[in-house]
Amino acid sequence: MNIKRSPWKGSLLLLLVSNLLLCQSVTPLPICPGGAVRCQVTLRDLFDRAVVLSHYIHNLSSEMFSEFDKRYTQGRGFISKAINSCHTSSLATPEDKEQAQQISQKDFVSLIVSILRSWNEPLYHLVTEVRSMQEAPEAILSKAIEIEEQTKRLLEGMELILSQVHPETKENEIYSVWSGLPSLQMADEESRLFAYYNLLHCLRRDSHKIDNYLKLLKCRIIHDNNC
Amino acid sequence: MQRLIPTGRKKKCFIKKTLRLTLKATAAILSRVSQSLLSVNPDLNTNSSKKPKFTKCRSPELETFSCHWTDAVHHGLKSPGPIQLFYTRRNPQEETQEWKECPDYVSAGENSCYFNSSFTSIWIPYCIKLTSNGGTVDEKCFSVNQIVQPDPPIALNWTLLNISLTGVHADIRVRWEAPLSADIQKGWMALEYELQYKEVNETQWKMMDPILSTSVPLYSLRVDKEYEVRVRSKQQKSENYGEFSEVLYVKLPQMNQFTCEEDFYFPWLLIIIFGISGLTVMLFVFLFSKQQRIKMLILPPVPVPKIKGIDPDLLKEGKLEEVNTILAIHDSYKPEFHSDDSWVEFIELDIEDPDEKTEGSDTDRLLSSDHEKSRSNLGVKDGDSGRTSCYEPDMLETDFNVNDIHDGTSEVVQPQRLKGEADLLCLDQKNQNNSPYHDACPAIHQPSVIQAEKNKLQPLLTDGAESTHQAAHIQLSNPSSLANIDFYAQVSDITPAGSVVLSPGQKNKAGMSQCDMHPEVVSLCQANFIMDNAYFCEADAKKCIPVTPHIKVESHTEPSFNQEDIYITTESLTTTAGRPGTAEHIPGSEMPVPDYTSIHIVQSPQGLILNATALPLPDKEFLSSCGYVSTDQLNKIMP
Repeated sequence: MNIKRSPWKGSLLLLLVSNLLLCQSVTPLPICPGGAVRCQVTLRDLFDRAVVLSHYIHNLSSEMFSEFDKRYTQGRGFISKAINSCHTSSLATPEDKEQAQQISQKDFVSLIVSILRSWNEPLYHLVTEVRSMQEAPEAILSKAIEIEEQTKRLLEGMELILSQVHPETKENEIYSVWSGLPSLQMADEESRLFAYYNLLHCLRRDSHKIDNYLKLLKCRIIHDNNC
Repeated sequence: MQRLIPTGRKKKCFIKKTLRLTLKATAAILSRVSQSLLSVNPDLNTNSSKKPKFTKCRSPELETFSCHWTDAVHHGLKSPGPIQLFYTRRNPQEETQEWKECPDYVSAGENSCYFNSSFTSIWIPYCIKLTSNGGTVDEKCFSVNQIVQPDPPIALNWTLLNISLTGVHADIRVRWEAPLSADIQKGWMALEYELQYKEVNETQWKMMDPILSTSVPLYSLRVDKEYEVRVRSKQQKSENYGEFSEVLYVKLPQMNQFTCEEDFYFPWLLIIIFGISGLTVMLFVFLFSKQQRIKMLILPPVPVPKIKGIDPDLLKEGKLEEVNTILAIHDSYKPEFHSDDSWVEFIELDIEDPDEKTEGSDTDRLLSSDHEKSRSNLGVKDGDSGRTSCYEPDMLETDFNVNDIHDGTSEVVQPQRLKGEADLLCLDQKNQNNSPYHDACPAIHQPSVIQAEKNKLQPLLTDGAESTHQAAHIQLSNPSSLANIDFYAQVSDITPAGSVVLSPGQKNKAGMSQCDMHPEVVSLCQANFIMDNAYFCEADAKKCIPVTPHIKVESHTEPSFNQEDIYITTESLTTTAGRPGTAEHIPGSEMPVPDYTSIHIVQSPQGLILNATALPLPDKEFLSSCGYVSTDQLNKIMP
């Protein structure tokens, strides 16, 4: 893929600034220092931090997608071709508010955890593939790296929340398997571009989902539906 | 009548044919026209009606959404078919992607389609299309989470926070509530707001930064003005703002009746104006003040390009020859000649007549026969140095040497000159300095000086007259006397020794430096030195000619009778002809006395014999002879 080196300073600066701002608020919580069984970190703090993280991830993925679209695939009409082919579609996620209200808390949290787990591998491969490009677009690469790291943190936090919300949950690692790696490495540029487009589109959508779900959960659990 | 064609039949055929042709033609024309028209305006396909297009699709609360389109403009002949909207959801559960028609054409208004919550899925892409008469007019694909535009906030109100002490300004807090449609409490939507306010009669709204809370303070509003406030909201992660809320009018209570009418505006403009004017005044004071120090600080004088001995005017006038000579003088001879005479640095010479150039200098002619060129104009002027009474012989010497250089005979002539001069003047005995010239030197300078002043000193002596040159050098007055304006003096007599006796009253001064080489001649010829007339006729001169060597002189130029002030040096250089016999004046002013006379013969190196032309006819000029007419001659001429 002939991705030209782009002026990345603006987006990188934005990334840095947002990172700095977030770093102020997203301080690494002392996650059970001393290995205590039940952490003293409150659920409220956990949720606050999780919401902040999810918000940040969604912003990053939105920016990454729009940058990619603007530079490589604008006007190609990929949106119409993006048939709901995200790999996380196999997970039964609520598609509107009513459905989201009907699902139980622990299922909700488990669902969120599953989604986050499903994205571990695609994000890793995304970073690898973008990095290995000949003229790697710095903006997209930096954002991808950041998203990958923050998603890991969010996953840790969600697992903590899950352990607090539903301590009896067995560690069932349900997640969707991603098999889009070959399509990312295709020789045909058009197909390869579409594969990247699809991946980034799905990432944006799923980050929005997670953000929405977490806010819902936070209001439901913490504020009792009275945010 | 056989020839008669059955016109009726023929007519019919003809008419049919023409009809067919015309029909074909019109059909062709029409098709072409329609094609062209269609190509120009594809809208013509739909009976000259504008194509309906999607204007916007909007979801106010992330639960429902609606799409709007432009109405079709019907101008055509046919009645338009109904416009329909079809949508499809790319749902993995629904494998079939068939287009479904809009569920609600009414709720959202005209030309709209409303999707209620049962038809809305948030993160699933939708595609919608408009159809008219079975043909797709417009198509669009989106996800609902991308088209969120919240409703405007409601219930705007404000409260007074405080009023300033002066009663001029006040702070207020504006509050509002989230739109009802947006489900904030469940956390389904998270909104951020933007507030804008302005004075009532202003046109530009002032914007504040987006805020997450539903209240914001406004600081420093003027009490005497009315304000308008409005708020709009948007979802936190999206880009599109919703509509603005209703405008809130803020009228602050005027508690204090003694409010200031006008704000105090710092008079920046006045300060700037006064500052600049003050600075300008100071600058002008400095510039025009007599204090040179300050003036030099502010406006340091630009050094005028100055080379010693060169008048800047020369450079301006572009007289490169003189400049070159002067420069050469400086370069070559300055150290040699000027070392002793530190008090003399410059010679002040006047340049008046560039025509004098061509005539050469007297001394040139005296010195050598080669000096025909004129180096007359020595634009040496320097106001800084004082005028020296004794003009540097060096200057002239170098000048001549420069001339010689230009002629190419510098080295040759100089020793000759020097030698001759030394011999003549016996200066080496008496006045041995660095320069062979001493106080009596002015004589040397005289010719060049004379020329420089453009006295139209005509060179009457030829170049060979070194002795005369010498004499001229010597004879002319004392340096001290020459310090004044009058450095020309009329030569009354020439001593046999070669020195010139100057009138008035300056006689024998030059004689100091004379060598008494031929005292007898001197005595002989010094009888009547006191005379005004310094001209000697040839005959008279011959009387006084001693055995002194003669100098061959070629007579060159015509006498110039223009100037009466100029005293000849050339004539006075005749060493021998010192007899005052020639001193007879022309009686009265009937005849102008020529100052110069052409040299006819140089009989000795120390003397020149003036040309004694034959007396002309009475009616001819009287001036052709040695400059005067003796009484006898006059009697002859005049009846």
